[in-house]
Amino acid sequence: MFITILGKSFSRRKGKMAIAIIAVIMGAAIPSAMFTVSLDISEKVSHEFRKYGANLILVPKSDTIEVGFPGVEFGAVTEQNMINESDLWKIKSISWRNNILGFAPSLYQVVKSGEGANEQRMVLVGTYFNKEVDILKPYSSDDKKTFKTGIKSISPWWEIKGDWIEDPNDNIGSMVGVNVAEKLGLALGDAFTIRYSQLPDDTQNETEYELKVLGIINTDGYEDNQIIVNLQVAQNLTNRPNEVHTVQVSALCNACPVDVFAGEIEEKIPYIDGKTVKQLVSAEMSVLGKVEDMMLLVTIVALLASALGVSTTMTTSVIERQKEIGLMKSIGAENKRIASLFLTEAGLVGLVGGILGYLIGLVLAQIIGMSVFDSSVSPRLIVLPIVLGISIGMTLLASSLPVRRAIKIEPVIVLRGE
Amino acid sequence: MESGIIVTKNLSKIYGSTKALQKASITIKQGDWTSIIGPSGSGKTTLLNMISCLDTATSGEVFVNGTNISKLNQVKLTRFRRDNIGLIFQQYHLIPYLTALENVMMAQYYHSIVVEKEAREALENVGMGHRLHHVPSHLSGGEQQRVCIARALINDPKILLADEPTGNLDQKNGKIVLDLIKRLNDEGHTVVLVTHNPDIAKKGNRIIELIDGKVSRVNVINS
Repeated sequence: MFITILGKSFSRRKGKMAIAIIAVIMGAAIPSAMFTVSLDISEKVSHEFRKYGANLILVPKSDTIEVGFPGVEFGAVTEQNMINESDLWKIKSISWRNNILGFAPSLYQVVKSGEGANEQRMVLVGTYFNKEVDILKPYSSDDKKTFKTGIKSISPWWEIKGDWIEDPNDNIGSMVGVNVAEKLGLALGDAFTIRYSQLPDDTQNETEYELKVLGIINTDGYEDNQIIVNLQVAQNLTNRPNEVHTVQVSALCNACPVDVFAGEIEEKIPYIDGKTVKQLVSAEMSVLGKVEDMMLLVTIVALLASALGVSTTMTTSVIERQKEIGLMKSIGAENKRIASLFLTEAGLVGLVGGILGYLIGLVLAQIIGMSVFDSSVSPRLIVLPIVLGISIGMTLLASSLPVRRAIKIEPVIVLRGE
Repeated sequence: MESGIIVTKNLSKIYGSTKALQKASITIKQGDWTSIIGPSGSGKTTLLNMISCLDTATSGEVFVNGTNISKLNQVKLTRFRRDNIGLIFQQYHLIPYLTALENVMMAQYYHSIVVEKEAREALENVGMGHRLHHVPSHLSGGEQQRVCIARALINDPKILLADEPTGNLDQKNGKIVLDLIKRLNDEGHTVVLVTHNPDIAKKGNRIIELIDGKVSRVNVINS
């Protein structure tokens, strides 16, 4: 009988119910879009940030060589420990492995180039460009056994004139910073010689090595003063097989647990310290925080407007049905029965409006995704129950005053007000 | 307490400065048909509202079926009303979007459980078996009033309270309804009927006349 009363009263007032549902749709579509974008945006923003480089750097414990990142210093020493290149695969074997987008080791050495007055000292860096690393013991048997990584994947934003070094076995290719190219007068395709000695200024025991310029780097950073070569070139030249100084890691950081990533890598490679690039992380958090605050504000305003619409419609409905309510009471309906009738009506309005609002919110999310991040936003099913909870809760809350009004109606008006 | 299924003692109802009812004391015996008559504004409907637990008195007491309903709260009044009293309205007050059958079943629903067979029988009992699935707008005034009576009877109340039940009906339909009420009275229901029509009032066996909120006269027509 309850369903009959509910269904017939609902269908009899289709117009008003439609208005209430539209109000809920408007209120639900915004949080639906906001939640969908918000859940996706963290990842999107992280990807955007990752384009600008690594957010985690691994250094050997007690290593205090001058290492750093654009704007971030990690300290300096002379005597140092090294990281074994053969341990680097372990970075990709942590439980957060899928969030590791890439890593690139660095082996630094000061070298000389040029003759006489034109002699220049500069930093030679050996690294991976696009190296396939074997994952010797994957975290899960389903994981891939190899991982292609290198400086190219963690610093895709570098401005390159010429080409990246694509062949990991290229022993003469080099990429030189724009400042190095200028000082040495190098152009693409030029060959040049670097000199290395184990002890500084030990000109008697210098080793010469010839390189060819494949690309000129312009980063507005310290790379502009470096010569970057395949890691094995630097290792062979400096006689440091299997050794690297630092490793830059680009971790996809959704809720930004970079510290957790670092901790897990430290467990796998116990002799290293994982240092997060805090400036980057905090900037990321700050941007996300601001975006989320704005979304929350818009959502609250939309919900308030929606609640007002629902409340007005429900109040009108109660006023119009005063006699019906009075009659129901006069033939024995208790207040809880009257309340349950109106609240169920409100709940249905919230449910229908919530579902439609969720769908419209997905469309809005796509528009936001395309216009702001230039990529589509993946629908998240988890958003549906959240939006339904919000829309039904909001509708019930907005109906509480009209329902209170309904249960206060005295049945005597049925007989009196004729 | 004086013997009677409905007893009021010094019942008064004051709306602002209007004394709708003043110290009305009446006794209605079980199985009687008591007609309450009086001119407009004499307090007939006010008295009926007190007896039917729809309104509360400013002062005085109402005993219905041995219960002092003046002391009951709203929830208990609602329960008491649905268990003991059937209401027949001048305007019928059917839910417009429910069929005749559903209007009767709604009273079952708010009382206890819905038994469609009993609702059908109640409508057949008032000659509405052929109009079960019609909504009120497709029924004549007399038919609507008979649905209203079926609804009042469905939970088998001891007392039927009718407020101008023929007030909106033509003579033919009015007679059908009054004959129906007479039959129900003969079957043992106590009937209290408010009317301003002396001829209708005389269908009962007792007449209580109200003037200016006071009981002016009690006539026993046929004991």
